[in-house]
Order: sequence, then C-alpha cells, then structure tokens
Amino acid sequence: MNNTTAITSDFKRFIRFFLQELKPKGKWLTPFNIISIPVILLGTIILFIRFTQGLGSVTNLSQEFPWGFWIGFDVVIGVAFAGGAYIITFVVYVMKVEKYHSIVRVTVLNGLLAYIFYAGALVLDLGRPWHIINPIIGNSFGYNSVLFLVAWHFLLYMLAEFVEFSPVIAQWAQLEKVRKFVSALTLGAVIFGITLSMLHQSGLGALFLMAKPKIHPLWYSEFIPILFFVSSIFAGLSMIIFEGTISHKVFRNLIGEKSQHSFEEIILGMAKGAAISMFVYYFFKALIFIHEQQWELINDFWGYWYLVEVIGFVLIPCFMFAYAVKTRNTTIIRLAAIITLIGIILNRLNISVIAFKWDAVNKYYPSWEEIIVTLMVVFTEIWVFRWIVTRMPVFSKQH
Amino acid sequence: MEFYYYVNIFETKGLEYVLLICFLVLFILLVRYLSTPEKKE
Repeated sequence: MNNTTAITSDFKRFIRFFLQELKPKGKWLTPFNIISIPVILLGTIILFIRFTQGLGSVTNLSQEFPWGFWIGFDVVIGVAFAGGAYIITFVVYVMKVEKYHSIVRVTVLNGLLAYIFYAGALVLDLGRPWHIINPIIGNSFGYNSVLFLVAWHFLLYMLAEFVEFSPVIAQWAQLEKVRKFVSALTLGAVIFGITLSMLHQSGLGALFLMAKPKIHPLWYSEFIPILFFVSSIFAGLSMIIFEGTISHKVFRNLIGEKSQHSFEEIILGMAKGAAISMFVYYFFKALIFIHEQQWELINDFWGYWYLVEVIGFVLIPCFMFAYAVKTRNTTIIRLAAIITLIGIILNRLNISVIAFKWDAVNKYYPSWEEIIVTLMVVFTEIWVFRWIVTRMPVFSKQH
Repeated sequence: MEFYYYVNIFETKGLEYVLLICFLVLFILLVRYLSTPEKKE
C-alpha cells in the first residue's frame, strides 16, 4: 500500500514538473518564430485537407508519379542527414574516441528527431495511411519487399535511438535509478543501432533498384545501395558541422567555454572523415561510369547536370575539406559542409524526382502545398529540438 | 564467333583496373596529406 502511495505521489510530482516545463522559455518574437509559426499553421490546414480529401487534393502525385517531393525530400534526404548519429556513436562508444563525447547527446537527439519527423512523414505519402502498421503486425508481411526491411529498420532504429537518448530524459526527470538502468543499455543499443543504420541507409537506395527503366542511366546503378550508404557518412558528418555551428551560436549560453573551443577540433576531425568518404564515393561514381561505358550519355543536358552534381558537389567540397583540414580553416570547412548538403539534396532528388521518368511527356513538379508541408515538418522538428535542448541536459555543460 | 582484341582498353576492362590503381595510390596520398600537420615557418 505504501509503495502504491509513493508511486502515485512520484507520478503526480512528475506531471507537475512536466506541466511546468511545457511553459515557453525565452523571447517569443524571434525571426525564426515569425517565419515558422505561419508555415506550421498553414501546413496543418493542408494536412487536414490531405487526410480528409485524399492525396490528389493537395499534391501533384498521380498513378504515373506515385512518389514525389515528400518521399524524395523528407524520407530519402532526411534519413541521409540523420546518418551522423550512427557515425558519432560508433566513434565514441565502439572506437572509444573521447574527443567527440561532448556532441554525442545532441547528435543522437538530432538523429532521433530526424527519424521521427522525416521517416514519420511516410504516413503523409501513403494513400491509405492506416496500412502503415501492416509490415509490423504481419498483415501481408511481404518478406521479399525492400520496403518491409526499411519499415522494420526505421521502427527498430527509432527505438534504439530512444534508448540511447533516454539517460538524458531520466536525468532531466531526476529519475536516478531509471537513468542508471537505461545507461547500462546504451552500448547494446548503439551496436544494434549501427547495424540497423548501415542496412537501412543502403536499403533506401535498394528501393530504387526496381525502378531501372524509370531512372536515367547516369543515376541508375546496381550499386545504388552502396552509394547511398557511403554518401550517408559524409552527409551525416556535414550535417553535424552545419547544425553544430548554428547550435553553438544560438545556444551559446547552454554550452560551456571548454566545449566551444573543443568544437573547433571536433569540426576538423569530422572534416577529415568527410574528405576521405567523399573521395571514396567519387571513385565509386567514376568506376560505375566507366564500367557501364556511359560515355555517349555525357554530352547532353543530363550529362552536364550529372557532372555538376559529381564534380561541383562531391569532388570540389572533398578538396575543400582536405585543404581546410590541412590549413585548420574552419570557415572553409563550414562552407564545404553546406555545399555537401546541397549536393546530397541534389543527388537524392535526382534519383527520386528529377531524373526519375526523365523522358516522360508529363513531368512531375511539386505543388506549393507539398513544399509548405515539407517546410512545416522541418520547422516542427526544429521547435521540438529547441524545446528539448533548452530543458534537458543535452549540451556538455550540463553533463 | 566473337573477336576479342586484347589491345582494346574498354573490352579488357583495362580502364577500370587503371582507375582502381589510381584510386589506391591517390587514397594513400590523401590520407598522408590529411595526417601530417602543416609545417609552420
């Protein structure tokens, strides 16, 4: 009876604490709020129309183009950008490189939120969204389908990342016993998460293997899964550099002076990793190009577009990263990270939207509603991220 | 019967071997370049 009373009072105390934490902190009238609030409100209205009147009412999707901007941007690009979490956890927990420890929590949080919002955006794109549960509950499992693998991996990876992040939540809620218990699970969750991540990053590429006649030959290859996996490494690292740079400016008061200085060293280390992985990726692309003997495809619009992507957004930022590491120039590293992120967006959109059915008479262009909903997903994720980092001990100062 | 010219770099996949050898050499050079700190004058 005493135990029940204690649990009830603990629960009441937690609810009071949680309600207190829900109250907004800081200024309301910031440039980000002024831009994001109307977009989120408009996006909510569009989503209401989408779920009541169907996909066709707000998107330019059709039987001919069943996958559009929502899949191309939210899922295919968003998951690549979330790749930083499995790389940093591998480096810190498996390889024991302590230098990166201070960014583990924020990187895992970014990865977790990216999966919740971007992979969660899959629901928007399903004609019958209530069927999303089918691969999990065994209603027409479809073992041979790559989507079956991707669905399970997304779900399991989200759980693994939640376990990795849960010590922070327990610390915030002042549940010391729970924190000790979930901290003990971290290494297992990390190893499980890395395995899942490597498989579904490449699995996302494998989704396009069945679309050989629809994708331009310069972008289609049986090695798309490997290309997706390798590109997720430098996409994730560039995202950490980009996001970390903004976080260190916006949340300066939450980050210790020591961490501010060590972040420069962390950026240099990640730039080195990005340069090496981009170099490998570039040679993969060159090898595939030569192996497929695609010389005659290079001398038209699509060929030039391909060269812009591969040289302008892979080889050049690769050299920029290498040069910047050598000269310890973090400004060039940040610039290279932005170019790399644009390159990833370009590459993934080329495969899933731009060079997809490149020869079709009727082309697909995203509607303004699709773009607003995509912005809404991004802005909502940033809101949640901001709410968490201003309350929970995510940055190193509060460890 | 198909003829096979051993001097054709495309048919023998020679170009792919050349590219791979270049990659390995350049990869070593890149790692060495990134690993050695810049000399200060």
